[in-house]
Amino acid sequence: MERILRSQKMAEIVLLPVRHHSPACAFHVNRAISALRPSVILVEGPDNANSLIPVMVHEDTKAPFAIYYSYHDQSGRISDEKEHYKCYYPFLDYSPELAAFRAGKRLGIGTAFIDLPYGDILAASREGRGLLKAEEEKSNYNDDYLLSRNEYLKQLCERTGLRSFDEFWEKYFELNGTTESDEKWFGNLLTYCALARENTPRESMEEDGCLARERFMAERIREQGEKLAGTEGIVLVVTGGFHTPGLKALLENEDEKIAEAAKEKGKKDKVPEKDQGVYLMPYSMEAADALNGYASGMPFTGFYQRIWEGLQETETPYGDAVLDMIVTAGKETRRKEGYLSTYDEICACVMAKGLADIRGKRQPGAYELLDAVLSSFVKGEYNIATDAPMRFLRKAMTGDAVGALCRQADVPPIIHDFEEQCRKFGIKTGSTLEAEVTLSIFSNPKHRLYSMFLNRMNYLKTAFARKVKGPNLQLKRDRNLMREMWKYKWNIQVNSSLIEVSVYGATIEEAAVSLVKEALKKEMGAKESAVLLTEVFEMGLREQMQPVFDRVHELMLGDTDFYSLAEALKSLLMMDELGGLYGSEMKFGRLIHIGCRKMISLLPAMTKIKDEDLNQCMNALKLLYQVTGREGEEFAQEREDYYDVLGKMIRDGEIHPGLNGCIHGILYGSGQSTAEAVEAACKGYLSGTREQLFSTAQFFRGLFFTARDLVFIGDDFIKMLDGFFGQVTEAEFMELLPELRMAFTYFTPRETDKIAAAAAGLHGKGRQDIMERKEVYPDWYAYGKEMDAYVKGRMGSLL
Amino acid sequence: MEQKFIKPPVEIRYKEELEALKACDTGNCPENWQMSPKAVRTFILGSPRPVKYQGKEITIEKKYFGNDALVERCIVTLAGNRGLMLVGEPGTAKTMLSELLSAAVSGVSTNTIQGTAGTTEDMIKYSWNYALLLSRGPGREALVPSPLYVGMEKGILTRFEEITRTPAEIQDSLISVLSDKVLNVPELGDAGFLFAKPGFNVIGTANTRDKGVNEMSSALKRRFNFETVMPVREASMEKRIIINEVNKLARESHIEVQADEDVAEILASTYHELREGVSSYGHRIDKPSSVMSTAEAVSVYYQAMITGYYYGDGTLSMDSLVQTLVGAVSKENKDDLEKVKGYFNTVIRDKSSKEGGLWKEYYEARKWLR
Repeated sequence: MERILRSQKMAEIVLLPVRHHSPACAFHVNRAISALRPSVILVEGPDNANSLIPVMVHEDTKAPFAIYYSYHDQSGRISDEKEHYKCYYPFLDYSPELAAFRAGKRLGIGTAFIDLPYGDILAASREGRGLLKAEEEKSNYNDDYLLSRNEYLKQLCERTGLRSFDEFWEKYFELNGTTESDEKWFGNLLTYCALARENTPRESMEEDGCLARERFMAERIREQGEKLAGTEGIVLVVTGGFHTPGLKALLENEDEKIAEAAKEKGKKDKVPEKDQGVYLMPYSMEAADALNGYASGMPFTGFYQRIWEGLQETETPYGDAVLDMIVTAGKETRRKEGYLSTYDEICACVMAKGLADIRGKRQPGAYELLDAVLSSFVKGEYNIATDAPMRFLRKAMTGDAVGALCRQADVPPIIHDFEEQCRKFGIKTGSTLEAEVTLSIFSNPKHRLYSMFLNRMNYLKTAFARKVKGPNLQLKRDRNLMREMWKYKWNIQVNSSLIEVSVYGATIEEAAVSLVKEALKKEMGAKESAVLLTEVFEMGLREQMQPVFDRVHELMLGDTDFYSLAEALKSLLMMDELGGLYGSEMKFGRLIHIGCRKMISLLPAMTKIKDEDLNQCMNALKLLYQVTGREGEEFAQEREDYYDVLGKMIRDGEIHPGLNGCIHGILYGSGQSTAEAVEAACKGYLSGTREQLFSTAQFFRGLFFTARDLVFIGDDFIKMLDGFFGQVTEAEFMELLPELRMAFTYFTPRETDKIAAAAAGLHGKGRQDIMERKEVYPDWYAYGKEMDAYVKGRMGSLL
Repeated sequence: MEQKFIKPPVEIRYKEELEALKACDTGNCPENWQMSPKAVRTFILGSPRPVKYQGKEITIEKKYFGNDALVERCIVTLAGNRGLMLVGEPGTAKTMLSELLSAAVSGVSTNTIQGTAGTTEDMIKYSWNYALLLSRGPGREALVPSPLYVGMEKGILTRFEEITRTPAEIQDSLISVLSDKVLNVPELGDAGFLFAKPGFNVIGTANTRDKGVNEMSSALKRRFNFETVMPVREASMEKRIIINEVNKLARESHIEVQADEDVAEILASTYHELREGVSSYGHRIDKPSSVMSTAEAVSVYYQAMITGYYYGDGTLSMDSLVQTLVGAVSKENKDDLEKVKGYFNTVIRDKSSKEGGLWKEYYEARKWLR
């Protein structure tokens, strides 16, 4: 620890360097506070969260929890985009910061955060640096990257034969951690931090906003120091070890003018408080584990939690924790995979101890545990099929604990709004049982509002409700249904996810509106924008309809993807039809015209599609047929163009046979072509060379898709089909079968029956003759079923 | 007088290092081990500080690259009750690692069973000198001990190379030996029990990718700790291995040529990219089906080097490098050569136009790809 001795102007200041989330560190912080009995404890963390401290140390509050900071850049301080920002500051039982707060409460010492408020940190960071880093989805306030990522450390790991900073840390700071005196332990840490700081360029620290924060923190410390001047009191400061040398230098700097200037600057540039939000939320071990992608703190949260608990009883808790984890992973492996013996577990323990010995560690740690299980539990080559024990172990090492907040915890306005809405609709949030509600959205205006609320909750990704039945506008399914059936369930996670979106607005509606606005800024195609339009439609966000509508318009003009346009057009048609029911006055006619024209203009290039696109393409053609075939003169121009293009397409000799059939069907259906013409095209394939003959099946598939009634006009088509089957061998038939099956799925059972009877008639058989089948004996059936189950079982174990 | 071999065993090649480590070893030795586990680790993974021995400073070089934790796990396994099984693709230095381990632990790396499809149970356990057997009857002197027998008798490590090449039922004869640590020779009557001495253990190596390997029974698997040896993941590390190994080979054959950094880099990146299926520029590459191991790269380099030394002007030409490369990749499948051609026509072409120099020569040598 660093001490700055008392002077006339200032009380004694003790700076404790820490690493976030470290059992040994929390242990020493706790002990140092008990020994020093400071007058005040200052902790690194945005100072606008000071009001949360009583809740954090409340006995009903259980870690892990996180402070959630949000900032809406309304004044455009950070960028002209005026975006929303958020970050998390997770706390675990073994976080030294939390240990400091808890010790403060226990000993009746005042505690406070001293860092810049979140918005000001952002304003002090350069674009893409520090907390403005873009690549990480979740940014964490207490990121240890300054300690764990530098050239000096890389060299250090190479020299010591350790894999990573985390292993280095465990070996030198955790495993021997508690046997050393506080003075020595903090001294070692400080040496490491000073070296890490020396190897970090000053410009980089400035860009990260690190130096601005240190200036602010130093000011807060100085204030406290001056307040206590002339007393015996001590100001104890707990900050990330990286900052300790910087703070010391700033505090020892006697140049008052610089401090004054910083103070002035700080006041002038302060980010407005109303744009900032700060709340506590329950957190989970899984979310806090650094290995799950949030690069902060230590990995293996569950393992270190176990160590922290053990530390309260013994100085060497690692052996027990390693044994526990080996047994947990072993049990799980035995249960799920079935091959593990107790002897394997004994071997793993021996291995962990042996490895600790050979690596010069006093006790086996997390890395010895991982190695031991890898070596003793995994049989055969280590790959995705044999890594189950490792997966179980990692899961156990992450832990599954979820935190809880005491009742006094303040919540953001969005949660009040949520509760208000729930009251309005009679939704019970006290129980965690799933409830069900059926809403007549078209006949009952209140139900429509209810549905809008649930849709908004879904859009905010709160996992509160799900629609189990009802029209699905996004997938364009079940449009005929008049009622929606929803299931909903409240739990604490719903509140957490609402807190996460609280940055976007004070009410559910506001947050949904902001998120829609954000979604509009993203890159997307016509299809995605139309889906967004349907969502806005369902959520009943009237003011947002026009901007989204405009965006769809813009994207449709620019999009050249035929299928994306087709999907968009389909969504628009659907909303046009349902608009009345949903009570919307939006007119989609103009967009539908644009969609049609664009699709028709792209059509000529679609003749040589791939097999897998056939279905999509046929659906698009059918859609165009439906739109242009509408009564009246509205679509007369498009109709003419459409048939014109189709006529040209079938004259292309290399057209995909399925598409050819589909177009022939459309032309026949619309009276542009005759049954004879279709027959002629069909015969063309039938009398063609071998490969062309084969594509007849696809032609039929396309044809039946759009004009299956052709088959029932006279018996020419049936005869033609019959002739086709006569031409192919049995093996070829088997090859064609899937395609033919597809072709015949478009018929109703009654029609299939009719065709079969006609076909039987051609060969002198009656309807009854083909109905007779050979009997299947019960034991054959049973055998087949058994075989099926066996194969499935075997395949399952392979997957 | 110094004996000359093509490839001297590890314990002779590194005699000085082993003796120095033994002399300076302060750690606890498991019974019958030549040195402590920590010293074994130092022998294989090297030491940053030289060891002082008989007035000399002896540098312990790093002999195995890639995964230090794996080596540590191997050492701890050998000190325990279970055998050690090294599995992985061909050419990942499994055999080398097992030799290093046996030489360091037992002082001898030659107590080895070579597994083949024709390995029989008596090659694993014991056989008889029939002349003696007939004249004197069954007795210890008529018995021909196998490496396994020797290992148990002396308390040293037995290496079992390519264990999966032997038929599964033959492999299984190891089961009782590994679990009970006793071998019964019924012909010798009551004196026929051979109890293994401390220090005995088995290191097996097995291929997972080659054709003609047999699956191990789960009973046997249970008696081993498995270590999967992965190919080297970094091209820079691969380059270092190539240079080290080629220089070692050259020294042993008394060829006064040193491996060239740039050539090694080209070869390492070729092997690395063909194995990983993606180039450093981001091209997607068709992977050849034959094994692109680091060991192969070393032999390609060395062969091209001695071609230059004996038949050329003493330096390595890109032409001979590519010629040797062709021989190395077109072993199993004709398509592989096409894939390498495709690799040259895309990746190497781009690299030659960007980097120039040797890369250009390398690209021009593609005419030998046929």
